[in-house]
Amino acid sequence: MSELRPRVDAMKPRAPMPTRTADPRPPDKFPSRGRYPSYLAFGACGAFLLLSAQLLIRGVWALGDGEAAWDAYIVSFGHPVYLAYHVAAFIGLTWFALRLFRLFPATQPNRMGPMKRPADAVLVAGLYGVFFTVLAVGTLFLGGALL
Amino acid sequence: MKTLMLKLEPVIWLLFSGGMMIGGLLLPVFVLVVALGGGLGVVGGEALGYDRMLALVTHPIGSLVVLAAMALPVWGGAHHLRHLWIDFGGLGSDSLVGFLCYGTALASSIAAILAVVRLHA
Repeated sequence: MSELRPRVDAMKPRAPMPTRTADPRPPDKFPSRGRYPSYLAFGACGAFLLLSAQLLIRGVWALGDGEAAWDAYIVSFGHPVYLAYHVAAFIGLTWFALRLFRLFPATQPNRMGPMKRPADAVLVAGLYGVFFTVLAVGTLFLGGALL
Repeated sequence: MKTLMLKLEPVIWLLFSGGMMIGGLLLPVFVLVVALGGGLGVVGGEALGYDRMLALVTHPIGSLVVLAAMALPVWGGAHHLRHLWIDFGGLGSDSLVGFLCYGTALASSIAAILAVVRLHA
């Protein structure tokens, strides 16, 4: 009867060695099908985060250089290349933020402190509300319509 | 080194997630009002004038908001670009690309801090 038992060490290598694995390869339909395009576009929006923050740093640096440097900074944004970039950046950053907030509930645990996590739709609606409120109030404030 | 990185992991992830959140919330406002509004001349005059902007950025709350809008999104952006590179088969050069991405983020963060600090000097 004992002869029918499987021999668990039958495939054991004679000496310890690294586990053999297949070479990494892209998943099927990558990058053009399914959810891959939006996943990759979301990642590519990192360029807008990086570049737009750099332009903001340049602006604050210009403030430190005086009024002429600040005025030249604002005037430089009238260049067609900057205008095209910023139209793309505004669309890209808005889509990035809304997609991030739509995915946000999936990253949260079932309990948030002492409270049970709100329904996903409530969380997403709240985050969308924060986004559009910040956009509206920030635009009015920075644009000089508030205060 | 590995232990140190594990200990720092929550801080590093705070930079990435905070960068995405802050960048997604604040940068569209900057792009819309200052870059597009100022560039097209739609918003101008006193609103984007030197004195008003200087007063806003040197206000304690304004300094914090602007610093967060400059220093955090560069980390989120760098992290996304690094992983985009890996997704397109760049795993072999990940060390170099990671160094370039996070090095840019670190240099930008230092520049952002200096830009704000020298306004207060």
